[in-house]
Amino acid sequence: MFTPSRIVFLPMAALAAAQPVQAMIYLSIEQAQELMFPGQTLVPAPLNLSADDIAVVEREAGTRYLAGALRAWKAADGYFFVDAVIGKHDLISYAVALTSDGKVRQVEILEYREAYGGEVRNAAWRRQFIGRAHGDPVQLGRDIRNISGATLSCQHVTDGIRRLLAVYAIAIARR
Amino acid sequence: MPSQLPGVDRHAARRSSIRRARPLLGTRVEIVAAADFPAAELHDAVDAAFAAIERIERLMSYHDPESELSRLNREGAVRPQRMHRDTCAVVRAALEFASLSGGAFDPCVAPWLEEWGLLPRHGAARADHAASWRDVEILAESRVRFRRPLRLDLGGIAKGYAVDQAVRALQRSGVRNMLVNAGGDLRVVGDEAETIALRSPQAPGLVVHTIVLRDAALATSSACYSRRRVAGVEVSALLNPGSRTPYLAAGSVSVRAADCISADALTKVVLFADPQTAEQALKACRAQALVLQADSADCASHA
Repeated sequence: MFTPSRIVFLPMAALAAAQPVQAMIYLSIEQAQELMFPGQTLVPAPLNLSADDIAVVEREAGTRYLAGALRAWKAADGYFFVDAVIGKHDLISYAVALTSDGKVRQVEILEYREAYGGEVRNAAWRRQFIGRAHGDPVQLGRDIRNISGATLSCQHVTDGIRRLLAVYAIAIARR
Repeated sequence: MPSQLPGVDRHAARRSSIRRARPLLGTRVEIVAAADFPAAELHDAVDAAFAAIERIERLMSYHDPESELSRLNREGAVRPQRMHRDTCAVVRAALEFASLSGGAFDPCVAPWLEEWGLLPRHGAARADHAASWRDVEILAESRVRFRRPLRLDLGGIAKGYAVDQAVRALQRSGVRNMLVNAGGDLRVVGDEAETIALRSPQAPGLVVHTIVLRDAALATSSACYSRRRVAGVEVSALLNPGSRTPYLAAGSVSVRAADCISADALTKVVLFADPQTAEQALKACRAQALVLQADSADCASHA
């Protein structure tokens, strides 16, 4: 009796089409505020950092501080932050809820964008992956919402949260 | 007051659907949930599912010196160690997949990954490089003992378990339709089929294949994302337990199975077991594998 193999091999060069991935919006800033501090009206908390403060933040966090990306709000029982980090291939904005004593209570990703700009736009480079034979065609132009493939790291979000906590310590907790 | 939350619409029917993501397990974990109850309750259900994943990360992180796994690695060869129910379930499953695959899946190859800088060293006693899964002994009452000083690493299986536990948490909250995706190891549950795109392992910005998944899990392994040079030698986070050499090919292996812990572990079985053993392991788990074969060894474009 013929038993079909449970392993299917597909030569990658023979796959029919390829398209760049991926952008996803999960929550707006307002939605994240409502999720983390339901029913509250949050008050913007300006982060006035001097050049010296920024030097301390960068030393403590071990990452660059980019003015403008980080914003803070005061809630009745904590603080709400929004920040964005740029990795080599992606841009992630995220929201963080801190307790009144500066502990991370919740982190939510707001927006995730992958950017393999140069290589994906380079037609000659793309051609090696596209259209050499038939296969199970990828439907071009359709929204790609779910992806499998080896894991991409979220390490720069972790770095961003460390930086955010350093900013909190200097700009909010010590004032 | 009209809620700002997604899925909440005062005038619409009660069916809600939300999609959220958190940075967990070193990657982006995404949960999509739909149910016939108010969106605020659906958000609570998703919170509980994320909490389940956070619990598993706290217990089984190799990177966190405070995790239960790190305690096992410090003390497991000294005296028997008690394990949390979740840790015990994952260790037990890891040993089952090791046995099923004749050691092609082995959760004890971490000393090499430590040497290559792919896993941290927490200053525990020297690990015995000759140790394997056979030196891990599960005792009564959720305790474990290591017969040699070794490093247990659940990185090849805990992510799949975390996805399954998030699914369980959602189901306990009454959610019937969901998708949980932990950096590409994912599971779809419910009435609706989902289209899953597979990345090109050589060029992760491109999708080269799609799979339609319904009530099933899918996990993918590729060496492309962890390949690096250490002291002039090319290494990766995927180590062949038989030959003790890093897997460096540019292809990827995706496995479809009923649950994500099986899919996750079986990708490594397909990578490293001989074809007959891999076929048998897949059959025993009613799983299938899809291997994307590269025509060159190049995955430098995103190194």
